[in-house]
Amino acid sequence: MNQWIERIKDEWAQAWTVAVKDVRVYYLRPGMIMFGFLMPFFMFFSFSVRRELGAAEGVARLLALAVFFTAGAAGPFIIPTERRIGTYDRLLAAPMSLLTLLLGKTAVGAFFAIAVSIVALLAGLLFFGATILQPGLLAAGILLGAFSFSTLGLAFGSMPTTNPGDVQMPSTLLRWGLLFISGVFIPLGEMAPVARAIAYLSPLTYAQDVMNHAVLGSGLINPWLDLSVLALSGVLLLWPSIKMHQRARVLGR
Amino acid sequence: MNHAIEVENLTKYYPSAGLRQAQPNGSGQAFLAVDHINFTVEQGEIFGFLGPNGAGKTTTQRMLTTLLTPTEGRILINGHDLARDSYPAKRQLGLVPEESNVYTELTAWDNLMFTASIYRVPRSERAKRAQELLETFGLWEKRAVKTENFSKGMRRRLSIAMAIIHKPSLLFLDEPTPGLDVQSIRAIWELIRRMNAEGTTVFITTHQIEEANQLCGRVAIISRGKIAAIDTPERLKANFRRVQSVEVALEPPEGSESSGGLPGLESLPGVTTQVKVGDKMRLYTEDPSALLPRLIQYAESHALRIVSLNTLGPSLEDVFLEITGGQVGVVGNETQEEKPARRGMGGRK
Repeated sequence: MNQWIERIKDEWAQAWTVAVKDVRVYYLRPGMIMFGFLMPFFMFFSFSVRRELGAAEGVARLLALAVFFTAGAAGPFIIPTERRIGTYDRLLAAPMSLLTLLLGKTAVGAFFAIAVSIVALLAGLLFFGATILQPGLLAAGILLGAFSFSTLGLAFGSMPTTNPGDVQMPSTLLRWGLLFISGVFIPLGEMAPVARAIAYLSPLTYAQDVMNHAVLGSGLINPWLDLSVLALSGVLLLWPSIKMHQRARVLGR
Repeated sequence: MNHAIEVENLTKYYPSAGLRQAQPNGSGQAFLAVDHINFTVEQGEIFGFLGPNGAGKTTTQRMLTTLLTPTEGRILINGHDLARDSYPAKRQLGLVPEESNVYTELTAWDNLMFTASIYRVPRSERAKRAQELLETFGLWEKRAVKTENFSKGMRRRLSIAMAIIHKPSLLFLDEPTPGLDVQSIRAIWELIRRMNAEGTTVFITTHQIEEANQLCGRVAIISRGKIAAIDTPERLKANFRRVQSVEVALEPPEGSESSGGLPGLESLPGVTTQVKVGDKMRLYTEDPSALLPRLIQYAESHALRIVSLNTLGPSLEDVFLEITGGQVGVVGNETQEEKPARRGMGGRK
């Protein structure tokens, strides 16, 4: 029993070590700044300028976009880069489980998303006078959204390739697809029934809805369901990452 | 006592593009990189894994270090089956890959601290071990410098330091010295010997024959995915007496013009192959002692002065080329490091 407790403590510490290392090594890389930091603001201003949007609505939308784009930027950039320069082998050969490694990598994207969300939130509060009605729900939404979207990015990063470009293209395409079918730009309540049914397929819909609950005080889905879907999708999206890592070990990439 | 490494029937097929699974039944659609190999490495041994490029060396090493999944076969590391539970084996491994995989955005110190943490070196020992290693490798003064500013040799040394900070009982080195200056090579060899003397088993993958000759107690030669020979370097050489040779440097007497060649040298009785090595000729023969008087006679009859005359035992390179199918003297990569074992009449005559 003690042996297992020690092992779990070790694995926890290893995941943390991987995450902290990645934060130091990659957060200031141009790819991360471009796809992680600038992209959500770019998307926000592209689709929100000159539209009648209240401060609270704007903050809720910006937070959802920040969590979505930023969390998903790390995996597709970091893992193929590390595979290319050989540092990923060091991690794969280390005495830790694959799940530990993947959780460490997930945390990198999630931390980034949380940090950018805080920037977005402060901008909303200080410059646009927005208020937060349910801070606890907002924190939970940001945390679980960051986890879910980071594992989505990780699934792409786990593709057996050494070229980040091979991953970023399909990753960006999927994320844009999920963005446009979600309830970010067109509120769920205004969608046709078919479009709304499709919107429910995007985890971003639930992230946007929980932000709406927290900032606007209203949403279309039960916030507990929003949080549950985000948590569950995050866990389920680890599975393709594990399978692709196993595949990479067969292919030798 | 457990073997440090025990490999049974190890096989690796790489699937061709588009195939979901490798085809181990010889359908011709998969590339066979390692073909049912068997070997053991004893604890405390320095074991060399030699082979030409593409022979299967790195594939084998990647399977031994859990980075690659075998198609068939079994690997035991210190008695632990890698397929069943790789965790205890991984704790005992150190890996120095062919590329020096250091984090260039971090300092040398931070690289070591990161690795120590990943390998769960006790917190109280991390700084002490990092300092010892940085001093050993001559990097202490550069500990706070980001490694993007390091030379290739410095990165290589740091990469090795990172692989041994947790004091592994089994160290894998993949091509540890190519491209390094002589001082760095000697320093790395010395470190490997010292670690081995302290009990670490060392598995070196290399195509640098002299490296294997200098370091390894036993070598395996792999060719086209199969182990062609395993033995001590000296026993391997002894089995290849037919690649003994006589090396001679001849020149015309002072004042006379050089004719530019040595006609008829190759047709001396007993000579199997003639190779020009710098300003010397190397004549391969099964019986050097019979060839020597004929050579002296040849020099006299052509009015040539013998500058030097040496008999050479088979080098590990000769053995390697014989086994891997390279023709002695034709491939003949006569490197500065690889000098055939000289004996007898060495020196200037």
